[in-house]
Amino acid sequence: MMEYLLQGSVLDQALESLLHRLRGLCDNMEPETFTDHELVYLLKGQQGNPFILRARRSLSHPKAPWHLRYLGQPEVGDKSRHALVRNCVDVAASHSLPDFLNEMGFRMDHEFVANGHIFRKGAMKIVVSKLSRILVPGNTENTERLSLSYLVELSVLAPAGQDTVSEDMRSFAEQLKPLVHLEKIDPSKQRH
Amino acid sequence: MQQREEKQLEASVESLISRVAHVKNALHSFIYKLENEYERLTWPSVLDNFALLSGQLNTINKLLKNEKTPSFRNQVIIPLLLSPDRDEDLAKLTEQRVPVFSHEIVPDYLRTKPDPEVEEQEKQLSAEAARIGPEVAQKQIQTLNKLCSNLLEKLNNPREDRDAESATMRQNKSSFNPADTNALVGAVAFGKGLSKCRPPGPVAPGHPGQGPMMSGGPTLQQVTIGGGSGQQAGMGGPVAPQQQGQPGKMPSSIKTNIKSASGSMHPYNR
Repeated sequence: MMEYLLQGSVLDQALESLLHRLRGLCDNMEPETFTDHELVYLLKGQQGNPFILRARRSLSHPKAPWHLRYLGQPEVGDKSRHALVRNCVDVAASHSLPDFLNEMGFRMDHEFVANGHIFRKGAMKIVVSKLSRILVPGNTENTERLSLSYLVELSVLAPAGQDTVSEDMRSFAEQLKPLVHLEKIDPSKQRH
Repeated sequence: MQQREEKQLEASVESLISRVAHVKNALHSFIYKLENEYERLTWPSVLDNFALLSGQLNTINKLLKNEKTPSFRNQVIIPLLLSPDRDEDLAKLTEQRVPVFSHEIVPDYLRTKPDPEVEEQEKQLSAEAARIGPEVAQKQIQTLNKLCSNLLEKLNNPREDRDAESATMRQNKSSFNPADTNALVGAVAFGKGLSKCRPPGPVAPGHPGQGPMMSGGPTLQQVTIGGGSGQQAGMGGPVAPQQQGQPGKMPSSIKTNIKSASGSMHPYNR
């Protein structure tokens, strides 16, 4: 499955208007909030890029299973494609996931807490989240916000090769302007 | 002459009755909608209903002002027979709303003067109007007219004028900060600003252990890392920067170890 992704951010003071707009544009459901703790594990190979796995658990539903996700490198296709496309594998896991990954040789690189709202429109998922840094490793109560903005992500999970998906995403992103500009941000360009 | 007037009266009364019936139906359906479908009701459809009622009232007004309509003020209605008994014909005519033509209903239905409270208010208003004098009244009328025409102009003008002003206003309060976008995306994608041992701030290398560390750590770290990417003999090869303190104990041995280990398959090599 490929994940098509568009990202943007919105300042705190514009959050309310963005949520109102999303509630009007998206499918009619009770607004869902979430609080998740994500840990990113790295497996160092002999050479080359390390293998990254993301483990996520819900702090608002502690009994729910963990969610493990692999995200590949973004596909460098034609530049006209409007969304970032990358390979994505999702599985659910039990609560022994961190120990299991440690035993396998993965080491946790960083962790953060994300909480915010999630909306859906058809196959599109819109997540508005506030990221917080964890000050003491393992202690999710003691967090500090990363910035004064909320991260807005529009994503679709679809089989490879469906370019109509990115068209739909772009037209939806148009409807959110000028509150937030959703665009494809290449993470490798952010690195330095 | 009189026949013509009578005919006119009859015709105008009939058309008035039909218009009033339209208003009644519109009100009836609106009330029904408000009472039964209020969950699904949207503001534009409520506005539509009000617009319909206002249009119908307008036609009634036009009808009354029509020159062909004789003045109804000249007609007088006198009840000839009042009885407390139920009148079936009347009940059918009025859809069961007026079953009895009695002393109670006559003051309400045949009233020509306004209610006493309304009369009081009207008297007060006309006294006030007489008090302020004609020049002040004229000035007030002019101000009201000017305000209304300004408003109408603003509403009727083409959208470009409005957009130009609102665009400049909106520029000052933009709702997102691109620098923040980049920071957040960096944090989610590869932990920029999130690595545990760094001081809070976006100065974190993406993959600790790969290449020289940039933080202000002790020089022992640099000696260790300079020898390879996190390959520490006998230490199970974890990548997290927590290892930095320990290799300080044996700097020289690590260097030599690494020289020999680079060629062979180390069991803890990852």
